[in-house]
Amino acid sequence: MRTRAWAGCLGVLTLATAAGSAVAGQWRDGAELYQKVCGHCHEANVGPVLKGRGLPPEYIQRVVRMGNRAMPAFRPTEIDDATLADVARRISTGAVLARE
Amino acid sequence: MGSKSKALPKGISAAEFDKAVREMRAIVGDEHVLVDEEKLAPYRKIMMPVPDEQHELSASVMPDGVEQIQRIMKVANKYRVPVYPISTGKNLGYGSAAPVQRGQIVMDLRRMNRIIEVDPELCTALVEPGVTYQQLYDYLQEHKLPLWFSCPAPSAIAGPVGNMVDRGVGYTPYGEHFMFSCGMEVVLADGQVLRTGMGAMENSNTWQVFKWGYGPTLDGIFTQSNFGVVTKMGMWLMPAPPDFRPFCIQYPNETDITKIVEALRPLRIAMVIPNAVVIAHTLWEAPCTPVKRADYYTGPGAIPDDAVKKIQADHNIGAWNVYAGLYGTKETNDANWKIIEAVAAGTGGKIITQEASKGSKALEYRFDLMKGKPNLGEFGLYNWRGGGGSIWFAPVSQAKGSETLKQMQMAKTILGKYGFDYVGEFIVGWRDMHHVIDLLYDRSNPEQMEKAYACYDELLHTFAKEGYGMYRANTAFAEKVAATYGPVKRDVEKRLKKALDPNNIIAPGRCGISL
Repeated sequence: MRTRAWAGCLGVLTLATAAGSAVAGQWRDGAELYQKVCGHCHEANVGPVLKGRGLPPEYIQRVVRMGNRAMPAFRPTEIDDATLADVARRISTGAVLARE
Repeated sequence: MGSKSKALPKGISAAEFDKAVREMRAIVGDEHVLVDEEKLAPYRKIMMPVPDEQHELSASVMPDGVEQIQRIMKVANKYRVPVYPISTGKNLGYGSAAPVQRGQIVMDLRRMNRIIEVDPELCTALVEPGVTYQQLYDYLQEHKLPLWFSCPAPSAIAGPVGNMVDRGVGYTPYGEHFMFSCGMEVVLADGQVLRTGMGAMENSNTWQVFKWGYGPTLDGIFTQSNFGVVTKMGMWLMPAPPDFRPFCIQYPNETDITKIVEALRPLRIAMVIPNAVVIAHTLWEAPCTPVKRADYYTGPGAIPDDAVKKIQADHNIGAWNVYAGLYGTKETNDANWKIIEAVAAGTGGKIITQEASKGSKALEYRFDLMKGKPNLGEFGLYNWRGGGGSIWFAPVSQAKGSETLKQMQMAKTILGKYGFDYVGEFIVGWRDMHHVIDLLYDRSNPEQMEKAYACYDELLHTFAKEGYGMYRANTAFAEKVAATYGPVKRDVEKRLKKALDPNNIIAPGRCGISL
């Protein structure tokens, strides 16, 4: 019984993944970055809410690079300059962010 | 042109350093070497109670492949400049991305973020150091693969290679991460590339399924060390069980820890409970619930016990909160659930099921971690004292009730002496427990910085005197922690270092190893 239930679950595995390489880290845009990184704290009662406060984009970018108290700093290898600028603009202007 | 570096490597002139940097730029491209102080800011951010200057880096070099790392090793040897490899650099509270000693070039491997292979039949993966748990999770979701991994709490931004190399732990049945790794690729200081286990053999297809190979098994020497740069790592993935039943059992008194451990150890060893059971104290749960410390105590020193009791009552938090799960089929879990209910009833614990957990952020993030779903819920801890100061004090304990109560009381007494709260949990490995304490303090307050350092120092030495060693430690205390393990082990490590890295160029000082 037990074996059958597990085997049923594993059946889909015969659809093997293409081996090759999967590269992320080059974010699609600021919205994706917000959803995958920022939102884990800033949409979860851990970090302060950022949206709707009109925070200047320059300030947001600086805090991301420097960190702020317990907030970790993020390196250019994690968040490239262009995506950082995009997420800062979106947060600052109240543009659409993921999960909204 | 004089060097712009704020912290030149020890004994290296600015001119020589500039030459080394120029050669590294030629390898990875200009934009992938940083020397300007402002651009290095993200690497400088630490949570440890020592001045930033102590861990100031010379530069950052960001290779995108093994061949580039091999060439960087040659430059580092030629100029005798030390490099400090990091993967995702999110070992927060253990040192973050900053080098173990001032004047090292951080070698940031985050660009190497390829998921090279996932074998859905054998349930294995082969990944590079820059891969994050979130990325791997998304990959498995996108490809509709019912495979789980185990991850640590900062999982959304941390990654499997760095965590396994530092011998971190997680919360699923595969929670002892190094144990569930299988095969490494390592660039050695002389530029040679070693593949461990079966990977050493050309044409082998068993690198990710059989750990040992032939002869001495070498993987262990590349964890918590500086004998090479790990560039690939195999890991085992767990088939998602048809039925997953996470639960929490709450206990009202601090002294209950004795009976909790005695009741759960047999279930863990027999694998009725297959995952790493976590036994979390009230003050770990409170900040993640979230509860504000200032609502209960604003006086000096550690929070008093009566305030802790009030938090328990107000927010339905136990003095100890046990987290575990059943992973199986409905039939097996139904059978084992009866055992869990009997244990809870027999020990005076109150069970909270997933259905009953709604509304508590603390329960939600724990239940997610037990199925390897990345989140950052545990960062709620940092709001408890505020100020961005955190170091993990993490001694190993036997999984025996008397030992855990003794360790908890020792830690609480020493923390209280310096005005810090006991924010701790026990993670049941199998027969051991990692007693993990977050020493939280305000890093912007010089007095608290000083006290946090002195407190960790006293904790470390008092515990060592009782025979309790750390399973992992922050970089500021690497030397002191290494010293508690005695001279013979250190001598062997030094001899290995001399043989593998005679110019001492890979992360000198990491885990106390240097020439």
